[in-house]
Amino acid sequence: MLRYLKLILLFTRVSVQDSAAYRTDFIAHVLVTLANFGAELVGLWTIFSNTRSLNGWGVFEMVALLGVFRMVSGLIGLTIAPNMRLIMDDIREGKLDFVILKPVNSQFFVSFRRVVVWRLADITLGILLVVIACVKMASSITAGHVFMFIAMLLAGGVIIYSFWLVLATLAFWLTRVNNMEMVFWNVFEAGRYPVDIYRPMIRRALTYIVPLAFITTFPAGALVGRTQLSGLALAVLFAVGSLAVASSFWRYGLRHYSGASA
Amino acid sequence: MRAVLSAMPAFLRESMATMFQYRGEILLWAIWGVVYPAVAMAMWSAAVAGAPGGHEIGGYAPRDFAAYFWLTMVIGHICTAWDVYELGYLVQSGKLSPKLLRPVLPVWQSLADNIAYKVVSLGVLVPIWVLIVLLTRPQFGIDRHAATFAVPAILMAAMINYLWCYNLAMVAFWVTRMEAIGQGWFGAGLFFGGRLAPLSIMPEPLQKIASALPFKWVVYFPCEMLMGRLSDRAIWTGLGNQLAWVAFGLVVFCVMWRMGVKRYSAVGA
Repeated sequence: MLRYLKLILLFTRVSVQDSAAYRTDFIAHVLVTLANFGAELVGLWTIFSNTRSLNGWGVFEMVALLGVFRMVSGLIGLTIAPNMRLIMDDIREGKLDFVILKPVNSQFFVSFRRVVVWRLADITLGILLVVIACVKMASSITAGHVFMFIAMLLAGGVIIYSFWLVLATLAFWLTRVNNMEMVFWNVFEAGRYPVDIYRPMIRRALTYIVPLAFITTFPAGALVGRTQLSGLALAVLFAVGSLAVASSFWRYGLRHYSGASA
Repeated sequence: MRAVLSAMPAFLRESMATMFQYRGEILLWAIWGVVYPAVAMAMWSAAVAGAPGGHEIGGYAPRDFAAYFWLTMVIGHICTAWDVYELGYLVQSGKLSPKLLRPVLPVWQSLADNIAYKVVSLGVLVPIWVLIVLLTRPQFGIDRHAATFAVPAILMAAMINYLWCYNLAMVAFWVTRMEAIGQGWFGAGLFFGGRLAPLSIMPEPLQKIASALPFKWVVYFPCEMLMGRLSDRAIWTGLGNQLAWVAFGLVVFCVMWRMGVKRYSAVGA
């Protein structure tokens, strides 16, 4: 266990050193992140200057949702997306052999080896929004809510990781899956608002097919007191299940990998 | 001029063939144009329920929002432009150089690519648009008057967006990182073009900023016109504004192109 933690720290340190060499890049990305953030706040301003609630979600509940959206956006951009992209590239170029030869669990290695440091800005802004929302709604948010929120967030993180791993594993059979990432980010935009605003069919698709609801609406809902313990239990079960499925699918894909010298 | 007229058919043929080869990617880019308005449609319809009165926001009932955002989908597609990224790539890689040797400006080939993309993606988009109309049953209020001016308005809208996108793209002659500028362009287009929300329901300060920018005349004006929400006078004023932005855009284009190419050649690309 300790070994794996040390490795994660090593990967992070290497990524930080890497990006330190491209300081202007880093600053440019952070500035763009801030600009996007400003735009999102202006978007919220536009909505709430015209209405009091969005399907029962008031202004600070939406702020919390936006905070969660930013945090998850940042997390996916920080580790999940870059690593999955690298898996797909390695498979296509036959470089996965080098991964398999390493003396660590291959799934662990491909999941944590890359960290895109500037995405921490996204995560920080997200946390800031969530904290602001909590402060403004302090009267209705209990410790229980915060606990459920964190648990939901963790469950959501595992679910979205599993989802991406399954997509990346498909690259063992279909070589041109790179555009999958673009499709994901496009669909992810729908997570900006609570999934209840969509028609039932789309809502179900955004919950069970692309697990958007688990990483945006449900955690934010847990924070503002819209989720029962049963909802949390369901999410945890789903998280464990999806991780098991994704991991075994990865191992299955690895067995069928023909390598660079096929 | 004669050179352009004889070159364009060839450019168009080549671009259509290329775009057809990239039909997988085109499908994905076109989906973005559908997802964003669809999400906005759903969001504003939900917002109506929470508004004072609960029936409409700023004169838009849910069916009106459906019509409005459907129109932004179609008109947004017709007016798409992405040269702010493309030209930066051409300048950086030096691939602009062979294009400068031709007897026609590179902008004509980019225009051919632009038109080809819009045409080829119709194959996938038209069924989606029809499906959305059937699913959301939008309420259009169009009248004959607006219909006659629709074609020139949309044509000018497309010209304004293409021209100004290219004008901004020419900053690539001076700046190495166009990515942030490109994102800024598209973001501003979403906000100030009325693609997040009809400009009439946006906060006052934003409406003022929107009036000083060309985006309003690219998407918002044609959409409002086609929804029958503009008086005759407003339509004529709008068309006049569009003409002004096209003319202004052409002037800026000529000036910037001359300065930009001089700098490009000086850097020895």
